[in-house]
Amino acid sequence: MGNLVPQAGSTPAKTGDESRQYLTFTLGGEIFALGILNIKEIIEYGSLTEIPMMPGFIRGVINLRGAVVPVIDLVARFGGTPAAIGRRTCIVIVEMVQMSEGSETRQDIGVVVDCVNEVLEIPATDIEPPPAFGAKIRADFILGMGKVAGKFVIILNVDRVLSLEEMTFLADLGGSTPAAEPSAA
Amino acid sequence: MDELTTVFVTESREQLAAMEEALLQLEANPEDSDLINAVFRPAHTIKGGAGVIECNFIVAFTHVAENALDKLRNGDIKVSSDLVAVLLGCCDHIGNLLSVLEAGAAEPDEDLRAEGDSLLSRLQRDWLDAKEEAPAASVQPNRPPVEKVDDVQASGGGLVETDFWHISLRFGAGVLRNGMDPISFLRYLSTLGQIVHIETIPDAMPSAEEMDPEACYLGFEIKFKSDADKAAIEAVFDFVRDECTLHILPPNSKLADYIALLQALPENTMRLGEILVKIGALTQAELDDGLKQQHAVPPEEGGEEASPPPPLGEILIEQKVVQPELVEAAVIKQKQVSEKKAAEARLIRIQADKLDRLIDLVGELVIAGASTNLLASRAGLSDLNEATSLLNRLVEQIRDSALQLRMVQIGETFNRFQRVVRDVSKELGKDIELTIAGGETELDKSVVEKIGDPLMHLVRNAMDHGIESAEVRQAKGKSPRGRLSLNAYHDSGSIVIDVADDGGGLNRDKILKKAVEKGLVQAGVHLSDQEIANLIFEPGFSTVDKVSNLSGRGVGMDVVKRNIQGLRGRVEVHSEEGHGTRFSIRLPLTLAIIDGFLVGADRASYVIPLDMVVECLELQAHATSSGERNYLNLRGEVLPFIRLRDLFEIPGEPPKRENVVVVKAAGQKAGIVVDTLLGEFQTVIKPLGQLFRHLRGIGGSTILGSGDVALILDVQALAQIAIGREERSLAAPSSVNTPRISQV
Repeated sequence: MGNLVPQAGSTPAKTGDESRQYLTFTLGGEIFALGILNIKEIIEYGSLTEIPMMPGFIRGVINLRGAVVPVIDLVARFGGTPAAIGRRTCIVIVEMVQMSEGSETRQDIGVVVDCVNEVLEIPATDIEPPPAFGAKIRADFILGMGKVAGKFVIILNVDRVLSLEEMTFLADLGGSTPAAEPSAA
Repeated sequence: MDELTTVFVTESREQLAAMEEALLQLEANPEDSDLINAVFRPAHTIKGGAGVIECNFIVAFTHVAENALDKLRNGDIKVSSDLVAVLLGCCDHIGNLLSVLEAGAAEPDEDLRAEGDSLLSRLQRDWLDAKEEAPAASVQPNRPPVEKVDDVQASGGGLVETDFWHISLRFGAGVLRNGMDPISFLRYLSTLGQIVHIETIPDAMPSAEEMDPEACYLGFEIKFKSDADKAAIEAVFDFVRDECTLHILPPNSKLADYIALLQALPENTMRLGEILVKIGALTQAELDDGLKQQHAVPPEEGGEEASPPPPLGEILIEQKVVQPELVEAAVIKQKQVSEKKAAEARLIRIQADKLDRLIDLVGELVIAGASTNLLASRAGLSDLNEATSLLNRLVEQIRDSALQLRMVQIGETFNRFQRVVRDVSKELGKDIELTIAGGETELDKSVVEKIGDPLMHLVRNAMDHGIESAEVRQAKGKSPRGRLSLNAYHDSGSIVIDVADDGGGLNRDKILKKAVEKGLVQAGVHLSDQEIANLIFEPGFSTVDKVSNLSGRGVGMDVVKRNIQGLRGRVEVHSEEGHGTRFSIRLPLTLAIIDGFLVGADRASYVIPLDMVVECLELQAHATSSGERNYLNLRGEVLPFIRLRDLFEIPGEPPKRENVVVVKAAGQKAGIVVDTLLGEFQTVIKPLGQLFRHLRGIGGSTILGSGDVALILDVQALAQIAIGREERSLAAPSSVNTPRISQV
């Protein structure tokens, strides 16, 4: 995964002192934040269909008003064990825009979170660059560290964390390792 | 591009396809005059249409081609394969010109024009000029055939003798609504000159109850005397230019212009005579004369039935009052009118996206219906149940009819290959015959559109690599003429398209050697014939040492495979060395909605395409052979099965009673062991999206009545996964020389 090292361009949005809004949520006891611009809606966790032969971070698919939407487990994506489902578990629906073959494709992706907290406004001045190490999360997944009430909140880089390209690649690896076909087939 | 042009381009392309087909048949049956006419008609129609939309470069080109065809029809020149080749070239060129028009360019570019000129000069030199010594009837190329002065008496020479302008005017329906009154245009027109005669064309007027009083249905044919120029007359109609169809013919117009006008007139009920009078090609008196004769053919010899009166056109020609050309055009127009009428009754042009939208909606309707059904059966009201089951039946019918709308026959796609095979075999110097079967097999339009490219690759490959040269074939004791066949048929819920040749077949050793060279397989590994055959689908694989114009670059087969997989299909290859190769493309019947069979394993539901299901039975302990072996005795047959729980690694204990669904895919039977059988289910296929692109064994997903998502099983891929796993687990410990267990 050497080609996925963080790029300089993807570090914090310190473009000015305007503040942006972030949705904070709890995941395995930690608080994370996502920019709200990509978030379409938050729904209750339920009736998820598992997809066999897929890596652990792909929880399955749900029916979102007639569309089949994949659901990602972020804890597993960060390398932990998949989160247990609780009473307050929600699915945050994020819209990803991706350029493929010259045309824009939109894909909704669901993210399982333990519970959603609130929408916060974090001024750009209160966002620190991600630490070089110690966060236990791949550095390119972090957009910045927001200071909220004296604590740090990890603001996730949604384009990286939910990169369709990378996840498809992993799904292919994870899916076919146990069932790899001879190359001739 | 305006609507008229769009229609012209679409229709012309259809005409071109018809022309090409007729040309190819003509090559085989040079004497068939029906075929010559079938070639002539499209060319003529295209020229006429091009005249209407004032696309001069198409008119100019088509005109010369038409001249040649005309001579062909008159028997002045003979059909030869050279002529057909040039005419095919002309077809292609017209197609290119249409593309130019479509792109909105005013003129074709240099290269294209040069190409057209060279085609024309060949036609001119070899066929048109060669027969120049033919007497009066000869047609001067590049000029409309108007010089037949002597043949025509009453109506004068090639220039139709009217001293008047002829204006054909059809108002669009919206004219009145936009606050414009047709009569005021006519009044204004009369300020420029004198309206000698005006004919109102009410043909577009619907019956009273359908008539919209706010719409204008009228058209006019006007004989107009004026010294004004064309632009000035045109300017009269400036305000309604977008809303009406206007044709203006100057005084003493050429015949060809009248012909073009004839082609363009939208009315379809006009009788020949009326058409001719209205455009002023002959006078009322001449027509009356003709009509009188037509009706007054005396019933000869008392008791005998009157022979049908000769068509008016013939009488007129006999009397030499109209040029045969003109009558012919009118006859063609009449014929087309009736043909078109018949075709219109059968066909409606619909925009594809409207149809897609309908299919989407039907899909949603099916899902909504399923959930209503579920709720009704839960509620336990028998009346409600009855109502919903009726509703469901209707929905099912709607679904089937909606899907039927998208089905087209594959024949048209197949027929394109006649040309390809002809051209390529000439190029390769091989004699190859193409046989087509099953052209009436229907499949989804989007599939048909996308299958063209892969088929093209396969056909070209078969001709280039598959079929040997005539000498080699003779040396092998085969007929020197190679055979290539395209065949389509239905097979257990899918469509199979076969591309078969009787060539040399795949060379096992050569493929293997090449594969080892490329590092695709390890040297010394034992591969089955099927596995070796499949190697040709690997990217960059080619056994040909020399790259030919057509194939051999090793891009192709992998593209073929990818394209077909993109359609949820698969391609198989069967080859017998020395006897030929057969590629079988297996495609799903439709891409949108299928009949499915719902099964359950653990808490999840899965759909198996119903067409693949043969039967269901309970998995009985005594029927399965001892212990862990995955096969059972199905009435004396050995039936291998897959445990869905094992394959998908579903945790937990299977229930006491398990069921087997016996499926048949690609001629082989297999069992799928599931927990429960849930019955038939109309399955609206929802793609799983990019994330699951590489997922094998699952063909897609669907939404159940309960709102849950169920996965659609891809039975053949599941079998392959099972085979793969078994082979690995068995072959892994002892290395190369383990006897292989072939299964399924």
